[in-house]
Amino acid sequence: MDSFIQLLHGFETALSLGNILYCLIGVSVGMLVGVMPGLGPTTGTAILIPLTIGMEPVSAIIMLAGIYYGSMYGGTITSVMINTPGEAASVITCLDGHPLAKQGRAGVALGVAAIGSFIGGTVAIIGLAFIGPSLAEWALKFGPPEFFALMTFGLIMVIGLMGQSLIKGLLAAFIGLTLSLVGMDPVSGAVRFTMGVPELMSGFDLVTIAMGLFGLSEILLGMENLSNSEKPAKVKGLLPRREEWKPTMKSISRGTGIGFITGLIPGTNSVIPALLSYSVEKKLAKDPSRFGKGAIEGVAGPETANNSYSGAALIPLLTLGIPSSPTIAIILGAFIMHGLTPGPTMFQDNPDFVWGIIASMFIGNLILLFMNLPLAGVWAKVALIPSKLLYPIILIISVLGAYSVNNSLWNVGVMMFFGIFGYLLKKLDIPMAPIVLTFVLGKLMETSLLQSIKMFEGNLLLFFNRPISGILLVISLLILLASIYAEIKNKKSHFASDVEM
Amino acid sequence: MKKFTLGSILLTSLILLAACGGGGESSVAANASGSKFPEKSIEIIVPYAAGGGTDTLARSFADLAKDNIGEPVTVVNKAGGGGAIGMQNGLSAKADGYTVSMVTVELLTLPHSGLAQFTHKDFLPVALLNEDAAAITVKADAPWNTIEEFIEAAKKEKLKVGNSGTGAIWHLAAAAFEKETGTTLNHIPFEGAAPATTALLGGHIDAVSVSPAEVATLVESGDFKVLAVMAEERVESLPEVPTLKERGIDLSIGTWRGLAVPKDTPADVVEKLEESFGETVQSEEFKATLDKLKLGYRYENGEGFTTLLEEQDKLFGDLIPSLNLN
Repeated sequence: MDSFIQLLHGFETALSLGNILYCLIGVSVGMLVGVMPGLGPTTGTAILIPLTIGMEPVSAIIMLAGIYYGSMYGGTITSVMINTPGEAASVITCLDGHPLAKQGRAGVALGVAAIGSFIGGTVAIIGLAFIGPSLAEWALKFGPPEFFALMTFGLIMVIGLMGQSLIKGLLAAFIGLTLSLVGMDPVSGAVRFTMGVPELMSGFDLVTIAMGLFGLSEILLGMENLSNSEKPAKVKGLLPRREEWKPTMKSISRGTGIGFITGLIPGTNSVIPALLSYSVEKKLAKDPSRFGKGAIEGVAGPETANNSYSGAALIPLLTLGIPSSPTIAIILGAFIMHGLTPGPTMFQDNPDFVWGIIASMFIGNLILLFMNLPLAGVWAKVALIPSKLLYPIILIISVLGAYSVNNSLWNVGVMMFFGIFGYLLKKLDIPMAPIVLTFVLGKLMETSLLQSIKMFEGNLLLFFNRPISGILLVISLLILLASIYAEIKNKKSHFASDVEM
Repeated sequence: MKKFTLGSILLTSLILLAACGGGGESSVAANASGSKFPEKSIEIIVPYAAGGGTDTLARSFADLAKDNIGEPVTVVNKAGGGGAIGMQNGLSAKADGYTVSMVTVELLTLPHSGLAQFTHKDFLPVALLNEDAAAITVKADAPWNTIEEFIEAAKKEKLKVGNSGTGAIWHLAAAAFEKETGTTLNHIPFEGAAPATTALLGGHIDAVSVSPAEVATLVESGDFKVLAVMAEERVESLPEVPTLKERGIDLSIGTWRGLAVPKDTPADVVEKLEESFGETVQSEEFKATLDKLKLGYRYENGEGFTTLLEEQDKLFGDLIPSLNLN
C-alpha cells in the first residue's frame, strides 16, 4: 500500500506540464530512432545526454527513459513494413510481421504489436513499482556459468525455429555460429577470422547483418518480379479477427512474463526475450508450420516481450545501481551526472524522483499506445507504395542506417554483402532466422563459457554444482533428448526427405 | 530469363558499390593555412561508441571548447578494433588541425599487442584531459580489509579478479599488480567494466581492478570497499583509501584520455590548438563537468603529455610481452 501512495505522489511530479512535454519528446525521439535502422536507443540517448545537463534531473531522466522504451515501439514498424529491423529487438518481428504485411494485414501486425507493447510495458512498470526490489537481488545470482546455461537453453529452443528441413536449418545455425566467432576471442584476446581487417576485430554488427539478410535480400528478390506490376494487397483493419484474439492475448501474457524475467537478469539484451518468446510461441502453437508465414502470435509475443524487458531492465538499475545493458549504462551515466546515485538508498533519499520517473513511464506508454494504434493505419499504407518507388527508398534508408552504425562505409559494404548472401540463401530455401539467432546467442554463449572455464579453472563439472546453471542445463538436455526421440519415433520419413534433397 | 538478368545487374552494381566503399579515406598531405586557423568547424574523432566514458568526456569538452576557439567543435564516433580504427582514422585525416583525435591509453597498449599499425610517435599530443587510476575493489563483506590482507590471501589461493576485457587496461593493471606483489591471480575478462562490477556484486568473482569511478555508486551504497588505488597520489573521491606506493608497492597504472593531431600538422596550428584547448581544459566548467562524470582530472600541455606517453610506453613495452597474450 505504501508503494501505491508513493506512486500517486510520483504522478504529481510526472503530470506537471513540463514533465509531460519531456516525456512526449522522449518517446517521440525513441520512436524515431527505433524506426531508423542503425540508429538505436543507445546512440539516441548518448547523443541527447549533453542536452540534458541544464535540465532538472527528473525531467532529464524522464526524457532519456522515454527514448529507451519508445524505441522498442518504433523498431516494429520497419520490421513489418519493409522487412528491415529498425533496431536489434525487432529482428524477430521480421519473421512473421513482414509476411503479414504481404498478405495485406500490416495494420493487424502493427496494431497487435502496439497493444502487446503497451500491455508488456505497463505490466513491467507495475512490477518495477511493487515487486522489483525483492526480485533484483535474485537476479544477481546469474554469473557467467548461469549465463552459459541460459544461452544453451536458448540455443536448444532455436531448434524449434528451423524451417521445414532439419538439415537446412542446421546449415543456417552453423553459418550463424561461425559468423559469431569472427573477431577477438573474449578471453585469450586472440584475433580470429578477421583476415587482417581491423574493422572485424570487434566482430560483425547484428543490425547490419539483419538489414542485409532480411531487408536487402527482399529487395533483390522483389526486383525479379518488378515487371509484373502486381497490385499490392489492400490494408485491412488494425485488429485481429475474432478467433485470433484468444491466442494473441495468450501470447501477449506469456511474452510479458518472459520479458520481465529476462529483464531482471543483468547482461541480457532485448533480443533474447524476443527470441525466447518466439520459440515458446512456436512450440506451443497447434500448427507450428504457420510460423514464418504470418502468424499473429509470432508478432504479438516477441513485441510484448521486448517492451516488458525494457521496463524490467530498469529494476536492477533503480534498486541495485547496476546497468544491465549499454543503453541503461548511459542512463546510469545521466543519473550520476545529475548527482544521483541509483541503488537501494535512492528509494529512501529521493522518493519524489524515483516515483516521478516510474509514474512518467505509465504516461509514456499511454502516449505511445495512442501514437501507434491510430497511426498504425497510416504506417501500414507504406505497403501500398508501388515497389518501383518503395525499393529505392528502402535502399536509401538501409544504406544510411548501416553507415550510421559506425559512421563508416565499412558497415554499408557488410550489409550489401549479406544482402547478396541472403538472396542466395533464399534461392536455396535456407531459413534466415537461425542464422541471426545463433549469431546473437553464439557470442554470449562463448564468452560466458570461456569465463566459466576460467572461473572453474577447467573443471566443467562445477556447472552442475550451481543450482541455477545445473537445472537449466539438465532441462536443455532433456528437451534435446526428447526431441531426438520424437524425431526418430514419429518422423523417420522427415529425415529421409532431407537426405534426398 | 529476364528476371535473372535484372537480378544479376543489380547484384553486380551492389558489389561494385560495396567495393568502392573500401578505400575512400586515404590521406592527403597537409597544406594548411595556419595563419587564420581555425576558419571552419573542428572535428574530434572518438575511437569508441557513443555513450561510453570517452565519448561523454569528448562531448562535454567539445561543448566548452567551441566558445574558446570560436568555431563549432563536433564529435564523431568511429568505434571498433578496441580503439584502433578511430585512432587510425584520425591519423590518416588531413594534417591541418581540423581533425583532432581523442587518444586513450590504448594508443600505447594496442601497438605493443600487435593490434595497431601506428605508434604514439605518429601523433603530436595537444592536451591531456583526464587520468583515472586502477584500483583493487572487493565486496564490503569480504574478509580482507587492507591491501596487505588481500595480497596475503592471493598468495594462498588463486583469487578471481574481474577486468574489462583481455588486453584492456584494467587487465594490464591487474597483471602488473600480480608481477609487483608476487601473487598469481585468476583474471576473468568481461565485456566492459559494468558487467565485471555486476559479477562482483553477485559474488561470482573476488575483486575487480577497474577505476574508482566505475565502482563509485556501489562504494557509496556500501556494497563495495576499495582496498587501494594504483595512483601517484590518493584519489580525491576516496581520501581514506591508500595508494599502492604508500604501502611500498611501486606501481601506478591507469587510463587517460587526451587530444592529439597527426605529426605533420603545421606548428602554428598545433600551437593555436594547444593554447585554446588548454584554456578549456583548465576552466572551472570543465573541471566541474569531470567531477559530475566522476572522472579524474589531469591536465598536461603538449610537452607534458609527450613525457607521459614516453614514460608509459616503456612500462607497457615491458609489461605486455611478458603477459603472453594471444
